[in-house]
Parts: sequence; structure tokens; C-alpha cells
Amino acid sequence: MLSLKLAIKNLLGAGLRTWLNVIALSFAFVLIIFYNGMIDGWNRQSKRDTIDWESGKGQFWHPEYDRYDPYTIEDSHAPLSREILEEIEKKNLAPVLVSQATAYPQGRSIGVTIFGIDPKQTILKLPTATLPASNGTDYAIIGKSMAESANLSVGDNLLIRWRDKNGTFDAREIQIASIFKCDVPIVDKGKIYIAIETLQEMLGMENEATLLVTGEGFEFRELNGWVFKDNDFLLADMEKIIQSKKVSGSILQALLLIIALIAIFDTQVLSIFRRQKEIGTYIALGLTRAQVVGIFTVEGAAHSLLAILLGSAYGIPLFLWLNRTGIAMGYAEDMEFDLPLAEVIYPYYSIRLIIITVIIVIITATIVSYMPARKISKMKPTEALKGKLQ
Amino acid sequence: MENSSIIKIEKLIKRFSVGKSEFTALNDLSLTVERGEFLGLVGPSGSGKTTLLNIIGSLDTPSQGKVTVIDQSIASLSHKQSAKLRNRHIGFIFQTYNLLPVYTVYENVEFALLLQKLSSSVRHKSVMDALEWVGLTDKVKSKPSMLSGGECQRVAIARSMVKRPEIVLADEPTANLDSKNSHHILQTMKDLNKELNTTFIFATHDEKVMKYLNRKISLEDGQIVKDEIIQHSKN
Ligand SMILES: Nc1ncnc2c1ncn2[C@@H]1O[C@H](COP(=O)(O)OP(=O)(O)OP(=O)(O)O)[C@@H](O)[C@H]1O
Ligand SMILES: [Mg+2]
Repeated sequence: MLSLKLAIKNLLGAGLRTWLNVIALSFAFVLIIFYNGMIDGWNRQSKRDTIDWESGKGQFWHPEYDRYDPYTIEDSHAPLSREILEEIEKKNLAPVLVSQATAYPQGRSIGVTIFGIDPKQTILKLPTATLPASNGTDYAIIGKSMAESANLSVGDNLLIRWRDKNGTFDAREIQIASIFKCDVPIVDKGKIYIAIETLQEMLGMENEATLLVTGEGFEFRELNGWVFKDNDFLLADMEKIIQSKKVSGSILQALLLIIALIAIFDTQVLSIFRRQKEIGTYIALGLTRAQVVGIFTVEGAAHSLLAILLGSAYGIPLFLWLNRTGIAMGYAEDMEFDLPLAEVIYPYYSIRLIIITVIIVIITATIVSYMPARKISKMKPTEALKGKLQ
Repeated sequence: MENSSIIKIEKLIKRFSVGKSEFTALNDLSLTVERGEFLGLVGPSGSGKTTLLNIIGSLDTPSQGKVTVIDQSIASLSHKQSAKLRNRHIGFIFQTYNLLPVYTVYENVEFALLLQKLSSSVRHKSVMDALEWVGLTDKVKSKPSMLSGGECQRVAIARSMVKRPEIVLADEPTANLDSKNSHHILQTMKDLNKELNTTFIFATHDEKVMKYLNRKISLEDGQIVKDEIIQHSKN
């Protein structure tokens, strides 16, 4: 009915005050999108990295296996059927045999998990191709953070001690063949990768594996004796933790939004107080009080539209730029993150995120504009026309 | 004849509560106004002129008595009904013009029509007609702050007239204007009164207004003390 154009005119007529409100609200708007976009980008990147390095297109687990319970490892191994071996040959499955062990770098002892993996596999990004075949010496590859915490470099020998399938202790020196860089901590920390055949031989578990990583080419079907875990399951915890960062970040966002909303509220209170004569005039012109409340509400809510326009004006170039260069995470790498964290995060701004943020900003601005405007319906038009204080 | 009266006031009493006591602003006032009158309410400050206009315009309600405006009883109107009465049938003109500062002259006049469901071309024509009546077609895009007091009041007249109301209520319309502008404004209203048969009611102290009126009602302490029909030789 009464156009938004008039509301915006009124707002712009208020000059600096309007712009201060709009700037504050646009900060909140841009920050919400920026922060959530960063988390979403991180989440997507982490998922992709974890899929690439660890989970593949899902995994078949030995029924006893539980990756969160090391005590299950000992009993979680089964022979590979002909069907599975064929898929391995076609690079549609990568078998992994897992064992607990103790490593002794420079006389210290640390608990490690040894992953026996097929050096010829191409499903995971793990540089297993850099594992030389055993030639009297057994080789391992490890991640950068494992190398740093155990103070190991390429060519170093590492003594490991494990129990074979009969529970008998055995020990051997293995040589570090290469060190890889991977952003997914669970692939790196406390993990040692050796050729699966070597580990099978060490444990006395010829032709056995703990889990099978599926690749792109695997045509999904049940495999007898194995339990399939899809990526919804495998990535669930990681996703949960990352999403929880959104919650902690939302406190700052909410604070900023509230400050901006208080400013709008304040402006509304003041403008209704100062513009009583105008309110009286509207009523004299034949507007109902509800319509006058509507005018002031729309006017206050229009702050949000201006904020969205202004936010877009500097936000879009900023977001495009960040999307191209990414956000350097710097020293975060050294922190005790258990989440995949790349050096550079590329924020991801989904349509959904943007629409939700726009709606939140408009709705909250409308509410804080409406609250003071309600007072108008209690004004007496004759008093309002006089511009008397209420 | 009774039916042609556009305003009928019988034994109107208006009281205001002032603190604990009550103040009687209009005291047992009766008045009938016919269509097309050009009527002035005169009287000292505090005599109740504005109060009476407000009640006729349904901005306020009687404490007692019966006020009928265009066949509607003011006391019984809901908020919505009284808003509709004002929007369709009553125009207001104020001493302080009360233009909306951020809107242009055109928008100020158009505003009164926005509530009615009119096509924009009809609206445009009405607005331009109204601005022509008051001689401001060249200031369409100006903001009130750029206009003189006389021009502002002419915009206000255009705004009150654009919807072609039956009644225009003008509270001290010339109080802030110099003599030349006052005469201009009054002549404009007088012309509209003749042309459109609009009923005008003024509250005024201004002597300049008197010679335009065809009826003058003197108020004192909320009562009518004199009711004169003024015959102009010209008419
Ligand atoms: N809301 C109110 N509360 C209390 N008293 C009021 C109120 N409105 C008006 N009055 C009183 O009613 C009386 C009439 O006021 P009104 O405004 O109608 O006078 P007026 O004739 O228009 O005077 P003026 O020429 O100064 O405009 C005054 O004594 C005024 O103080
Ligand atoms: Mg008065």
C-alpha cells in the first residue's frame, strides 16, 4: 500500500543517524555471512580432504572393528575373498590392515597405529607409491606432524615392537622412506604406514585385512563378512565439531547484530517521539493508527534493506577476493587441532546461507522497529498534532 | 431541509480532565452547518475553536451531546470508520502546514490519495489538478524546505483538496502568513468553495479572513455567543 520508496525516503531524510545504523547492521550482516561461509568452506574442504586421504567413498569394516576402541583392533581381521581380491586388482578397493604397536624413537616409547596398506592403491591420496618394496629392510611412510613429534627424518630407522596374532611380542627396525604433508590429523598423528604384505607377514595374518576402502569405480554391493560404513557415518564426528564452531562464533555475531538492532530501536523511539506532529498529520489525512504503525515499522525495517545493499557493496568484492585467495590460517597448524585444517581455507558462501542471513536481518530489524512503533496506537491524534510530549 | 445539513451538532459538551479536576472546553454547543458554507469560528484564545474542529474532524470525541458529520455520528465511530471519514470526506489545513518534509510537493499532495485504490494515472491527474488550483504546478519536485510559508500552505490546501472532500477544516490557516499570502490563500479557498461546493470551516483570529466568510460564529468559553450570516454585495 504505502510504498517502501517513501519509507526509504524518510530514512535517508534522517541522514547520518540512518547511515550509522545501516553501517552497524551491514557489519553484522557481512560478518555473519563471512564467518559462516568460512566454517562452511572449512567443512567442505575438510570433508574433501578426509575423503581423499582417509575414508574414500566409504569403507567396509571387519564386524569387530571400531576405530574409537583400540582394543577391538586385535580381533578385527579377516581373509580377503577372491571377489575382494579382484576388486583390489581393479583398484576399486584398497585393503588396510591395522595393528597397535609401540615405537621407540630415540629411546622414547610412543604408542602408534600401524596401517598396512597396498602400495599400489590409488584410491587414497596417501603417497603409498613412495613405499619401496622390502629388500631386507622394511620401509614406512609417515606424516609431517608424526615426523615432528617423533623427531624423525627420511632415512631414519625406527624400532617398533608389536604382538603378532598369537600374542607373541616381536620387534623390528623400519626405515622412514618418505614424509608426507596431510591436513587431516587422524591420517598423520601417531600413524605409521607400511606395505600391507609386510604387516601381514609381521602379524602372521597372510592375506588378511581390517578394513577395505572403496574407490570411485566400486559398484556398491554387500560384501559377505564385512560391514559397510558410508561417509555420513565416517565424517559425522568431524562435521559435528566443525558445526559446533558455528555456535561458538555465533555469540560474536549475535552481539554485533544486537548492537545494530539496539541502535535501530533507539532511532525508532527517538523518531516516534520527535515526529508526533507527523503522526497526527497522518491520522488527520485518514490513515488508521495501525497504518501509521505500519509506516514506522516499514521505515525501521528498511534499515535492513539499506544494510543489505551496503553490505553487498563491500561484502561481495571482499568475498570474491577471499574466495580467490583463501584465508591463510597461519600458525593454527601448530595448534592442537584434531580437525583437518588446511593452511588456506576457501570460504564457501551458499545461497542458503545468504538467504537465511538476509531473512534474519530483515526479521529482527522489523521486530525492533515494530516494538517502539506500537506506542503510536496509544497516542491521541489531537495531542500528537500539537507535538506534545507523552 | 434537515437532511441537507452536512454537520449537525446538538448540545455538545467537551470536557478535559486536568489533573484531578475537569475543564469544560465546549459547553452545551449546538450548531448546524449546510453544504457549501464558508464559515469562520472566531473568538479569544482558549474559547474552544480548535476543540470544536477536532471533534467535527473526528480526531476527538464528544463528552456529551450528538455530533453528526455527513450522516455519521462521531461518537459511535470506530478508529477505522473515523479514519475512513477523514480520508474520504474531510480535509485538514493547519496553522503550521504539517507537510511531510522528506517528500516533494507532488508526493505530499499524492499522499492523501495513496489510501484510495486509484490507478496511478487517475492519481496523477488529481494531483496535478489540485496543484493547478493553488498555482504550484511549477514546484512539483520541490521539497517543503525550499518553499515559502505561503507556498507551503498552498501545498497543504492542495493536499486537503485533492481528494475533493465535502468538508475542509482549517485551523488558523493564515496565522503564519503575511497579508498578501493570506489573501491569496483565502481567495484560492473561496474559489474552490464556489467551484466544488466544498464546505469550509475556519478557526481564526485573523481579521483578513472575515471579509471572505459568509457566516461567522463567535465562541466564548465554549459557547456560541454570536452567529452571523454575512451578505457580500458581490454575491
Ligand atoms: N487535551 C487537553 N487537555 C486539557 N485541556 C485542553 C486540552 N485541549 C484543549 N484544552 C483546553 O480547552 C480550551 C479550548 O482550547 P482550544 O485549543 O480549543 O482553544 P482555541 O480556541 O483553539 O484557542 P487558540 O485560539 O489559542 O488556538 C483551552 O482552555 C485549552 O486549555
Ligand atoms: Mg486553536
